Amino acid sequence: MGLARTLTMRAITLIAVLILVVFFMVIILGATGTSDKILQAMVNEEVMMLRQSLAKTIKDPQELERVINIRRQELMEFYGLTKPWYIRLPDMAWRVLTLDLGKARTLKTFAGGNKVSDIVMERLANTIILVTSSTVISAVIGLILGVRIATRVGGILDRISSYFSAISYAIPTWWIGIILILVFAFFFRLFPFGGLYSTPPPTDPFMRFLDMLWHAVLPVTTLTIASVGVWIYTTRTIVLNTAQEDFVNAARARGLPEELVRNRYIIRVAAPPILTNVILGLATSISGAILTETVFNWPGLGRLFYDSILVMDEVVVIALTYIFTLVYVVARFLLEVLYVILDPRVRY
Amino acid sequence: MSVKAEDAFQEFWRLNVSKVGVLFLAILVILSIYVVTSYPLDFGVRYWNNPSYWADYPKSAPPSWVNYFSDRKLPEHYVFSLDKPSNILPTESGKVLLYTFKLDFQADKPPTFLSFTLENVTYYSQPLIVKLDVKRPDEKSIELYRFVVPAPYLNESPPYRRFYDQPKRISLTGDMTVASTLARFLLREYNVSMKPSEINSIGQHTVIFSVPNQNKQFNVLKGEYWFTLSIETYDNRDYVGRVKLVVGGDVYGFMGTDSLGRDLSIGLLFGFPIALFIGIVTSTITTLFGAGLGIVSGYIGGRLDEVIQRTADFVNNIPLLPLLIFLAFILGQNIWVLVFLLVAFGWPTLTIVVRSMVLQLKSGQFIEAAIALGAPRWWIMFKHIFPQVAPFIFAQLIFFTPTFILLEAALSFLGLGDPTIPTWGQILEYGFRSGGIYVGLWWWIIPPGLLIIWTAVTFVLIALGMEPVVNPRLRRMK
Amino acid sequence: MTLLRISDLKLYYKTLRGLVRAVDGVDLDIEVGEAVGVVGESGCGKTSMANAIIKMLPSNVAVYQGRINLDGLNIVDLPEAEVRRRIRWREISIVFQGAMNVLNPVIKVGHQVAEPLIIHAGMDKDVAYRVAREKMKLVGLHEEVFNRYPHELSGGMKQRIVIAMALIMNPRIVILDEPTSALDVSIQAQIMNLLKKLKKELSLSMIFITHDIALASDISDKMAVMYAGQIIEVGSAEQLLLTPMHPYTQKLLKATPRLTSGEKPEFIPGAPPDLVDPPKGCRFHPRCSYVMDICREKEPIKFEPTKGQKVMCWLYGESR
Repeated sequence: MGLARTLTMRAITLIAVLILVVFFMVIILGATGTSDKILQAMVNEEVMMLRQSLAKTIKDPQELERVINIRRQELMEFYGLTKPWYIRLPDMAWRVLTLDLGKARTLKTFAGGNKVSDIVMERLANTIILVTSSTVISAVIGLILGVRIATRVGGILDRISSYFSAISYAIPTWWIGIILILVFAFFFRLFPFGGLYSTPPPTDPFMRFLDMLWHAVLPVTTLTIASVGVWIYTTRTIVLNTAQEDFVNAARARGLPEELVRNRYIIRVAAPPILTNVILGLATSISGAILTETVFNWPGLGRLFYDSILVMDEVVVIALTYIFTLVYVVARFLLEVLYVILDPRVRY
Repeated sequence: MSVKAEDAFQEFWRLNVSKVGVLFLAILVILSIYVVTSYPLDFGVRYWNNPSYWADYPKSAPPSWVNYFSDRKLPEHYVFSLDKPSNILPTESGKVLLYTFKLDFQADKPPTFLSFTLENVTYYSQPLIVKLDVKRPDEKSIELYRFVVPAPYLNESPPYRRFYDQPKRISLTGDMTVASTLARFLLREYNVSMKPSEINSIGQHTVIFSVPNQNKQFNVLKGEYWFTLSIETYDNRDYVGRVKLVVGGDVYGFMGTDSLGRDLSIGLLFGFPIALFIGIVTSTITTLFGAGLGIVSGYIGGRLDEVIQRTADFVNNIPLLPLLIFLAFILGQNIWVLVFLLVAFGWPTLTIVVRSMVLQLKSGQFIEAAIALGAPRWWIMFKHIFPQVAPFIFAQLIFFTPTFILLEAALSFLGLGDPTIPTWGQILEYGFRSGGIYVGLWWWIIPPGLLIIWTAVTFVLIALGMEPVVNPRLRRMK
Repeated sequence: MTLLRISDLKLYYKTLRGLVRAVDGVDLDIEVGEAVGVVGESGCGKTSMANAIIKMLPSNVAVYQGRINLDGLNIVDLPEAEVRRRIRWREISIVFQGAMNVLNPVIKVGHQVAEPLIIHAGMDKDVAYRVAREKMKLVGLHEEVFNRYPHELSGGMKQRIVIAMALIMNPRIVILDEPTSALDVSIQAQIMNLLKKLKKELSLSMIFITHDIALASDISDKMAVMYAGQIIEVGSAEQLLLTPMHPYTQKLLKATPRLTSGEKPEFIPGAPPDLVDPPKGCRFHPRCSYVMDICREKEPIKFEPTKGQKVMCWLYGESR
């Protein structure tokens, strides 16, 4: 009832965000002539393939050119290149939404393919692994320390953590990564410089998994350092504010044991506002992931972003912008489902 | 909420974080002013991103102070430059200009290269003959190089001007003629037989600055080296503008160099005004724009309010960095585009907060009184509402500044910085892309990051100091 | 039969400004089935006294002493764990000021009502829920409220929940701290009627704390007037209303607006004293119109000019 309706409303809002972002992108692409370029490349690709196949059957060069030109005209028509860019906005938007963006210029899948959707999709999992594990680790550390610090406000740990979170606001995530590489990979040779597996990767699946863990240590640490300060600080502040609420005192007056008061009357009540902070920080974690993957050559979407910028592969940049928005929207929706479950007050 | 400026400042100044923050800011501003007044405007294009300008600098050299921390002394970088000859010897047909350079070499490693440069040469009759000799601490002399200034072209009439637009740089390192000369020298003096190609691969400079043993191992020869460049002229009007001798070091300056030989201290200094500019300008525009929309949205209300709030909600709900990358990529890497993009995506948070503050103020008695007196809406917004929210807006301006500095750095690091303007993010990006971290070039990687952090921390400290001023509830609790 | 006997109860807090003497030597007896009204201006220590009775002490407490005698046990000396196990909610429960904020916003109200039964009495959830439903019916709440969250309820409903909560363990004493101050007048009347009904049906002892002397008189058998951390006058409701002895009580009564008489309410001159640095001698003397020399020097002792009516005022010194 209320729950379903609330969630439907959130889903609609987020889908609207996604569609608006895609339209915004497509307008920019159209207005700058980039979409023309992309479609033209797709036409050229098909024309080239046609030429190769026709060259065997049609021997007369003039006849060949004529046939190809007719076909080219048809293709231009089909892709809407004969019409101005604003007419084919919806068509281009649909292309982006379905990742129907043709082939990447230089980037390839691990197997060597060059279809944009394949390149992007095979890396999605690596990004999710990285972001999720670092978020879970930061959350666990942040919640445990934050709750503990809330009971000892003004103590040394409290002061350290508040300075740390203020400073971590001023430290670029990716620079932390670079420093970790310099210290732990270059000077101490404890961890690899980057990548997902050693070369060559171990063949035994378990060893392969361990190898990946070993490669994940530094990037996950980087993301954790970047976000744990905020976790600790917000948890501390929210728990502290909640602990001063009347109902906490009232629960104690009812003779409820302290542990129950802490878990059910403080932490449980503090959970939704803490989660709100996580939702607000989601965009930041995505940015952090893009940069951290780049630094550690982690073969996820973020590193792909960097590579595509480096080789100027605009179709991949477009696909990635869309995919990141999609990932954000989905992650946000999942967190909001959790939020609505945790906080009855936001249900309609 | 409206605090007297003087009281507010005292409140702010009471805290140590404020004092440190202001001190840091003062240093940043002074350095920026120095850079703005002393650097050329086209520094990025003309110098920083122009590899030939950095040819005479050592590549990937650590800062020279590393020598204080190590027993093995690395060679310093020496640049000798003379406008006037040290000595002039008359000959029958003209005179010989002598340029003498003395180098007291005490490092445990030979230099990294050796080169000399001629600038602005004019002659009237015969082409000048240039000769470079060295006398080593062991009294052995080598005639290193001989070179004739290009002869007149067909139909060219005197004076013959050479090396005015482009100075003539001659690198002894890598020169096969020099290698042959040195091969003869080794055979003659030490009875060591080496092919010129072998010498070329260990480096001509290495041979010049050391003594070989029979196993062809070279030990550095410490002491005074005298380099003499003699230029033979045939006309009294013949003229040589400048002569430069560079003995490439393995350490350089206070901050070291990158893999192109660029002096990092120069690039890093240039980053100060840029970081401040991007941070402060973007933050100011964003804050004013966001706060203005917030005031209008809250005060005017109605349809306009609805539109502004929906837009703010939307912009607030999109992941910033991917879209910024997309736009910077498609629209081009230009600092103004960047500032525009940062503003375009930075305003909503403030708009939403200011709007709610204005909604509270709107019902205040003095506003109602002003309305009753018939004051126009813009007047009320500007004269009555804005001063009330101004302290908060100012604090937000400071608070947002590091965000923009970091965002610019992040985009630069991803290769989307304005290539005509070097920034700390770009220096780091190049250090990363060219593999500086994998070979441990720490002086290239650590300082730009620290400077970014330092600048951001400066604003964080000031923002912390301002918190009790803007948030009086906090002040009372203390 | 005296159920609860409070004698010489003191509760001081440490603050930056100095020691706050919130409760400073309070004596009060509560009989079985009796409602005791405690009235006084805000900041006179009423709420602190309520908290002191169930030993709910803030972290900055400096002095907590005296006797709170219940069945031969002194709550003041009882360790925290014992108080929690044996006294709070089992014997004495409390309805806090501001019902809006005393309910956990993310737990269904029915569960919150039943929770002490599950925790203290070790009841099964089903049984506890059944008892909670009964209590909720008793305070006039509909069945379906059980599964609601606090934000879905009106102020009056929340106050009823809080009262049901206070009754869940069948305590002998309920402390009501300004139970109606946040409510509309019409809801206030409903809640007062409910409290009167409960008192009669359950023969409950109540300590009814309020700043509203008229409201207190509506339900109380006995009334105590609190001023600057002390009870300056105590007696039956009739005695206090008809023959108030302490000048403060008299002024308090005159300050109450009445519908039936034409008299205009009077204000009490001056402000309540600072509990950090109370006036020397009688704490009311700066505001008293009958002030004598002794009032400025010596703190008055308790006099009992009429049986059952005790007063802390030198005016009654001779009649002893």
